[in-house]
Amino acid sequence: MELFLLSIVNGLIQGGFFALFAVGLVLIFGVMGVVNFAHGELVMVGAFTIWLLHAQYGLGYIPAIMVAIILVTIIGLLMERFLFRPTRSDPLAGLICSIGVLFILQVAATLVGGDGPSKQVPPPFEGTLVLFEFLRIPYQRVFSLLISVTALGTLWFFLTRSKFGWALRAVAQDREAASLQGINSNRISIIAIGVGAALAGLAGGLVAPLTNINPHMGHNVIITAFIVTIVGGVGSLLGAVLAAVLYAMLHTFMTVYFGGTIATICGLILMVVVLIVKPSGIMGVRVSE
Amino acid sequence: MNKKNILTVQNVVWAAILLAALLATPHFLKFYHQDLLIYLTINVLVVCSYRLVTLTGEWSLIHAVMMGVGAYTASLLFIHFGLDMWFTLPFAGGAAALIAALLCFPLLRMTQFYFLIGSFAAGEAIRLTWIEFVGVFGGTGGLRGVEAPILWGIDFIDPIPYYYLSLFIVSVCLFILYRIENSRVGLTLHAIHWKAPLAESVGVNAWRYRALAFIVGSFFVGLAGGLKVHYLGSVSPNQMGIGFMVFILIWVIVGGYNKFYGPIIGVIVLTVFDESIRTFEVLRPAIYGAVLILSVLFLPLGLESIPGRLRSWFGVGSTPHEPPLTDQ
Amino acid sequence: MGISRRDFVRNTAAGALIASTGLPSRVFAAGQKTVKIGMNIPMTGDYAPWGLPGLYGCQVVVDDINAAGGVNIGDQNYAIEIVSYDHGYDIEKAVQGYKQMVSESDVKMVMMLGGSTVGAVMPWADRKKILTTTLLASDITPDTEYLIATSESHPLYNVTGVEWLAQHHPEVKTAAIVTNNDAEYGLQSAATYQAAFEVAGIEVVDINLHGFDVTDFAPIVSSVLAKNPDVFCMATSFYCTPLMEQLYHQGYKGKIISCTLDYYDEIIAKTSKEFVNGTIFQFPDFDDPKLNEKGINFPNPGDFDAKFRKDHPNDWSAVAWEYPANLLNWIEGAKAAGSVEPTEVLKALRSNKNPEFVFGEGRWWGKEFWGRDSVVVGRWPVVVVQDGKARIQEYRSVSGWLDKHAAVLAKYMKSHGLRITG
Repeated sequence: MELFLLSIVNGLIQGGFFALFAVGLVLIFGVMGVVNFAHGELVMVGAFTIWLLHAQYGLGYIPAIMVAIILVTIIGLLMERFLFRPTRSDPLAGLICSIGVLFILQVAATLVGGDGPSKQVPPPFEGTLVLFEFLRIPYQRVFSLLISVTALGTLWFFLTRSKFGWALRAVAQDREAASLQGINSNRISIIAIGVGAALAGLAGGLVAPLTNINPHMGHNVIITAFIVTIVGGVGSLLGAVLAAVLYAMLHTFMTVYFGGTIATICGLILMVVVLIVKPSGIMGVRVSE
Repeated sequence: MNKKNILTVQNVVWAAILLAALLATPHFLKFYHQDLLIYLTINVLVVCSYRLVTLTGEWSLIHAVMMGVGAYTASLLFIHFGLDMWFTLPFAGGAAALIAALLCFPLLRMTQFYFLIGSFAAGEAIRLTWIEFVGVFGGTGGLRGVEAPILWGIDFIDPIPYYYLSLFIVSVCLFILYRIENSRVGLTLHAIHWKAPLAESVGVNAWRYRALAFIVGSFFVGLAGGLKVHYLGSVSPNQMGIGFMVFILIWVIVGGYNKFYGPIIGVIVLTVFDESIRTFEVLRPAIYGAVLILSVLFLPLGLESIPGRLRSWFGVGSTPHEPPLTDQ
Repeated sequence: MGISRRDFVRNTAAGALIASTGLPSRVFAAGQKTVKIGMNIPMTGDYAPWGLPGLYGCQVVVDDINAAGGVNIGDQNYAIEIVSYDHGYDIEKAVQGYKQMVSESDVKMVMMLGGSTVGAVMPWADRKKILTTTLLASDITPDTEYLIATSESHPLYNVTGVEWLAQHHPEVKTAAIVTNNDAEYGLQSAATYQAAFEVAGIEVVDINLHGFDVTDFAPIVSSVLAKNPDVFCMATSFYCTPLMEQLYHQGYKGKIISCTLDYYDEIIAKTSKEFVNGTIFQFPDFDDPKLNEKGINFPNPGDFDAKFRKDHPNDWSAVAWEYPANLLNWIEGAKAAGSVEPTEVLKALRSNKNPEFVFGEGRWWGKEFWGRDSVVVGRWPVVVVQDGKARIQEYRSVSGWLDKHAAVLAKYMKSHGLRITG
């Protein structure tokens, strides 16, 4: 029972983190039609920024996260302007460009931090929250969960209540129809990648004290993001969030009760099943047959 | 099909020069570069077989794993049954083709992005199987101790004989792939890419043709995997992961995938380029990345289009540009 | 901070193949020759912590030797030069680097980490008769004539830690093993711990093998702790830091035993000194006073430790002294043979029934497991963290354990599908 409750909490924390970067990936794919292979590297850059500024130079954790978000957003905007916009007619070209960015960012991280052993960031929030005497959650993870929920909530508010948010969802659903309505797709693209990259930067900032930081950490992140994206439905942001939590729960429980490798295989099988049974994902709308 | 006579004097002379150059190359290389030449030769088959799969306009991410299927099959046959390369190669291709045939049922229901990711997931599942079943596949350590054959007193473990051998095998495979592409089947594949609904309306079973391309492409890359493992001696799951797949993609796209020889140019030029920037060890991936981006931005049709561009700049003849394949 | 930018550039950026010792202002003695030793190791990527520190260690040892005028082998005086290549744990690169250092630099021995990279180079190495060292005893096969493991005998030495634990903490009854599921390090080590626990009368209540894609260790640790083990065992894990961190946060109170505990300062920084104290593992720091005892075959360990940490303050890992130890073994062999030629050196090394093993009492072993007596086993230290510092408790005999319990180990190796030739 204790293990069950603990696993639910762990699943939620993990789900919040998955959702942060998967939503960004979905936004970018939905609005621009580009599979951003470098999305995991954006998370990595965020984490490296925390390591460099917070763990090495002693800047506060929160200001370091701010810098990480700004830095990653700038990288995202540069990618949009110089890579994705010129190659808009050819989605494959966008994908290949993002692979190029992936290589460059990995090398940049290596140059900044050196390769060798993974970097560690001592947790800025020490201590452990103890609930009902058996549920032990480090404050660092509590913080991580609170921030991801807040960020996703804000995003949700922005998408449903603001004019830009409305336009953005319109473009994500049907680009041509949206442009017929006079929506400036360039501006929407900028917002989409800006928001997506900022969330990736935030995710990197949150995960930095919890994991091994190295230039190749984006690899695991991107595979998870793909699974979440497919399961949730390629154009659906709500789907991505739901799928992130669902996948994290599945993965956590499978890990606890059956082991890590089985959990990963189950995740892949879940994705393939969704692809076969309902390729549009759990929340996706079938556009054409 | 063009029924031009290809046996003109000019063509024969060019072919002879090409052959002489290919045969002479290893003798001008340093010892360890001869290995790279062998891998390059094998990678030519990898990219050309990949091109066949992509002819219908669908890009898969399972090709590297299929090469691994071939390599593992050849290794297991060698290790457990002592079969020589002459016998393991057909099985290596056959095993990859068989797995591709089985995967057709779930995978080919998908198109575009879904197919890309679906094929990736299927490949990862196969790779995890290699890691998980240690007793059979050796886990992360993979399989080792696979040897090159000895024939007529020639020990093919030496790089130059093995190079000639793989050059021969790859050339035969390329010839077959070329014939397939220029046959009715190949034209149908092109037609499916360009006008799938139209092709179907005239009675073409698009699914069947896509399956055919997928299976045949997998056969040849499986064979390439077998060819590689008999020289390298080992195979491990990490060799055949998404990392290598990304390189296949890069070679094909930078070379240009509209023409048969585009990917060949891509893999040759980039391999030589990659080796030439070896002195910038740490920076190498970044240089590679930058070249990749620049070539996609400024050479969307690939390296293959450079001669045509030069000709048209200098006003020698005019080669009208084909539109990019995905631009629809 | 890991390795500094400058170190990194010096070691890898100037070309894949570099003579790391370079040409310092040292004056070459008249008639001195240079013998080149290769290091074909991972310096980047996941496996870098078990490659790069070894190169740094060898630099320290080689600089010392050369500064003292080199070594006399036969009638000839030699300076030693290290030639290094970063294969990033990729088998194709490993083969390429190996062939390159043999054909271009004429290296007389190549030191490697082990696993698939060693498996890939050995057919060629054996054909060309190039002496090669590995840190993984399990790389030995009946065919690998020129492969030896003279310093680390992974994973055999893990048994000493368990023996010590059982003796000093008789209240311990159950253990859980957690590690990455790779066949080369994790599974080998897990099998060894299982065997050692069985022999020590400790029941293994859970074995958790995970992949390399884990981003969050909380579920793994909570599922293992649900079994209430008295001992938490990390069998050559790449993830000691996050695992220890989770143990700390989930309030684990039992004993912790691990194969390696690299960068334990970072673990202390993420948890607490009190928590890490008492952790048992297998790899000493070389400023340990117990290394100055008789029977230890490593010259001036304290001096070595100090020089290493002066140049590379945060890079000490389990392998920092192991590659140098292999190099020292080679020098012994070459001196005995009076030649630097691999075949002669190998013959001399093998003919010594009691080779100079780092921790003493070395003898050749391995035939009954892997088909060749190419591993040196002897005593191995049990290290425990005390007041935030790794300290050797005692040396115990690995060969003695193997004499009695090899069959138990073989059983568990087979249960994981690992190759046992004998």
